[in-house]
Amino acid sequence: MMVQRQREQAETHLLRAAQEFQKCMQCGKCRSVCPVFKEIGNELYVARGKNKLAEKIVSGDLQITSRVKDAINECLNCKTCSANCPAGVSPEHVVLRLRWYITTREGLGLFKALVFRQLLWRKWPIIAGAVFIGFVQRILLDIGPQNPVRHLFPLFGFSKRRNFPRLALRPAQSLYPEVIPSKKGTPVKRIGYFTGCAGNLIYTNVVKSVVDILTGYGYDVVIPKDQKCSGTPVLANGDYEGAANLMEHNFNLFRRYDLDAIVVSCSSCGLALKKEIKLFIDNCDELREFCDKIYDINEFLEKEVQFGPNDLGRLPYRVTYHDPCHLNRGQDVRKEPRSLLMKIPGLIFKEMQDAAVCCGSAGSYCLTHYETAIQINNHKIKNIQKEYVEYVATACPTCIMHIQDNLLQHHSGEKARFVVEILADSLRKAGTI
Amino acid sequence: MKKSHLEELSTIFENDGILHQQEDMIAYSYDASHIEKTPEAVVFATSTDQICKLMQFAYREDIPVTPRGQGSGLSGGSVPIEKGIVLVLDRMRKMLDFDPENRLITVEAGMTTSDIDPIVASADLFYPPDPGSVTFSTIGGNIAENAGGLRGLKYGVTKDYVKMLKVVLPKGDIVTIGSKCVKHVAGFNLEPIFVGSEGLLGIITEVTLALLPIPKHRESALVVFNTLNDAAQCVSDIIAYGVTPSTMEFMDKTTINAVQNFKDCNLPRDAEAVLLIETDGEKNSAIGEMKNIKKAAEKNSFRSFSLAGNTKERDLLFEGRRIALNALANVKPNLILEDATVVRSKLPDMVRGICEIATKYNLMVGIFGHAGDGNLHPTFLIDKNDTDEMKRTEKAVKELFRLAIDLEGTISGEHGIGLEKKPFLEDQIGSAGIQLLCDIKRTFDPKNLLNPGKMFDFPNSTSN
Repeated sequence: MMVQRQREQAETHLLRAAQEFQKCMQCGKCRSVCPVFKEIGNELYVARGKNKLAEKIVSGDLQITSRVKDAINECLNCKTCSANCPAGVSPEHVVLRLRWYITTREGLGLFKALVFRQLLWRKWPIIAGAVFIGFVQRILLDIGPQNPVRHLFPLFGFSKRRNFPRLALRPAQSLYPEVIPSKKGTPVKRIGYFTGCAGNLIYTNVVKSVVDILTGYGYDVVIPKDQKCSGTPVLANGDYEGAANLMEHNFNLFRRYDLDAIVVSCSSCGLALKKEIKLFIDNCDELREFCDKIYDINEFLEKEVQFGPNDLGRLPYRVTYHDPCHLNRGQDVRKEPRSLLMKIPGLIFKEMQDAAVCCGSAGSYCLTHYETAIQINNHKIKNIQKEYVEYVATACPTCIMHIQDNLLQHHSGEKARFVVEILADSLRKAGTI
Repeated sequence: MKKSHLEELSTIFENDGILHQQEDMIAYSYDASHIEKTPEAVVFATSTDQICKLMQFAYREDIPVTPRGQGSGLSGGSVPIEKGIVLVLDRMRKMLDFDPENRLITVEAGMTTSDIDPIVASADLFYPPDPGSVTFSTIGGNIAENAGGLRGLKYGVTKDYVKMLKVVLPKGDIVTIGSKCVKHVAGFNLEPIFVGSEGLLGIITEVTLALLPIPKHRESALVVFNTLNDAAQCVSDIIAYGVTPSTMEFMDKTTINAVQNFKDCNLPRDAEAVLLIETDGEKNSAIGEMKNIKKAAEKNSFRSFSLAGNTKERDLLFEGRRIALNALANVKPNLILEDATVVRSKLPDMVRGICEIATKYNLMVGIFGHAGDGNLHPTFLIDKNDTDEMKRTEKAVKELFRLAIDLEGTISGEHGIGLEKKPFLEDQIGSAGIQLLCDIKRTFDPKNLLNPGKMFDFPNSTSN
């Protein structure tokens, strides 16, 4: 019965992939925009080539070989091909469906299954693991980049060169009560906050910035304690069922709180809750209502909050901005973060070349395909360096992680930070929050 | 392919320059046409010398070689129909020499057309041919197919800009033909035989292109018509007035509506056709030419005539044309894009004829294209899974080519013959014409190993 159901599910994935790739005119335009293809230079790795592979798999002329898997895994889900496709194909959906097809037939593999099931079932092992790593990092790695501990990295599949951000010793969610009251008396609105795992376990300062800004401007902030992974990494790795479970969980959870809006500070989580969730939950009024409530934090602040003339303190920063793919092409949010930065007095905003080109991070892609990921990122670093800035601001934790890693490897002094962190700096300086 | 062959190839191309696994062969089995065939090996060249060695090897071992750029060709020119080796040239993308004083640039064949733009723009120059694939097609492929583009009317096509070529001949000899001089008559005029040769006579590895100064001023207008005939007649009249617009693009009602459904570009849904016209050059002459265009439009009872006041307005005007193909692609699951072309005075007849064919076979067709040079893109909107519709489309396409030939036009304005139009070439150039092509091919490539099976059937070849 189970086998039968899985087989049917796998066939559905293939069917959906076929519906998408059949629109491909094979013009080759994707060759001029795909960041992965630009580095590897083999047609097999460009959208058009993957569409052709999908076609051959559907027609039965090609089996799932290791090379097929390799090609399908070489995708950043940066959506540049979709944005530029003359025929309106979304090749990343072909890729996702094929990943789902493969894992439905072959399973996830022990390691991924273990991690993803944990995300699904309970949070504490992940949190405990993260905190443990946080301790170890402080004890072992603080000796510096020449640290011999680095020689152990390859055992875990990481490059020796790689710089990791420090994991938090206390998860951000544990620092707050579930409902954080407005600091301005009667709340204007009640805002849900989806922190994302990275916000909770790594970039806790971002959570603090978001909470401070929102409560400082009179909003109640609700961080539901039982929120789980948004499903993005699970989805990207082909775990269809896992993603569906997580999406459903968060959908049902946030609906239980009476919220006017839900803000997200991670571009990929935002995309998952705003759009990708529609792949898993049947189109209904409740879902539309839920999705309409989701805002990227930059989008929300720009739309909702009136920053008074004396609210923002002067920051003598030179800042450039990197567009995360899942915010720019994923959610059509590109003006808002720039506009927030430009509100800050004294801040000089420098637009960098190719700000919207993927940085190569793509979540777990930069763990599994580190060398290509760094090659892609090298272009980003060059463009950042050309602007002579102190900060490169962005709105996605994995972009920050990857850009910061490569900046350090280039011995380049710029720091990667979230837009809301810089905004909070300015608001704090003026004593507004 | 034999193991010894692969070994010899890897001595020429080293390991990262050769592929032979099944999956990679699938990825190099097609271009933007509807035909595919998997090769036995794919090699990536980085130098002319490697290609010379490859052809010596192929000639010794009787292995077909199909050269390829980015695989954006629309006629099947780079599909390895006789299997063998696919030779990829997209890694040869160095700029070799930029000579603004003589308005010349020398590049390797794998450079894309739009890569040239920023280099030459620094000296206020531009390379005029601008095929729709300008951001991804290689210059070598453009030369092999004699690519056209939107500016063809005033500025001509690829063949008008090729000054010098470095070519590897089928047996492996390297020749440099042409000259950087404006005047040059030493030997036969050989450059044109390689331009549009579709990779049958030699492999172009380096090219010197002529450049022009960027026009100082542009005037752009959108003219809306109530009948197709008026629009088509207007094109002829504009030319008859002695005006040479730099661009004169045409869109019919089906295309307009497809565009509007796809993205609101301010195009009138109920208009039968629109023309997008641009003049360029010195400010006064560009403005003067546009005035004459308006007169020609008035003669043909246009509905409206709007002039762009600035760059932003101009971009808005052209946005619709730019996304026309995207928009049409979204109407039905598949499309067949043709490029039958006639002289400009026959444009009204051609447009009428296309509509009649579409009605006769009950097919949806969108017509857009470079009206100024008579190069139309009738686009059949179809569903490949509908076998009946596919049969009707085949007949319609055949009739379309017949129509173009009867109007003294050509079956291909810019896409080439390749595999897609091979069955129709004889109708246009006759059997003696085909014989001449074969004789020329035999002189260059007696074993028929370089891009075999394209354009025409070589006697004794196994292709059909």
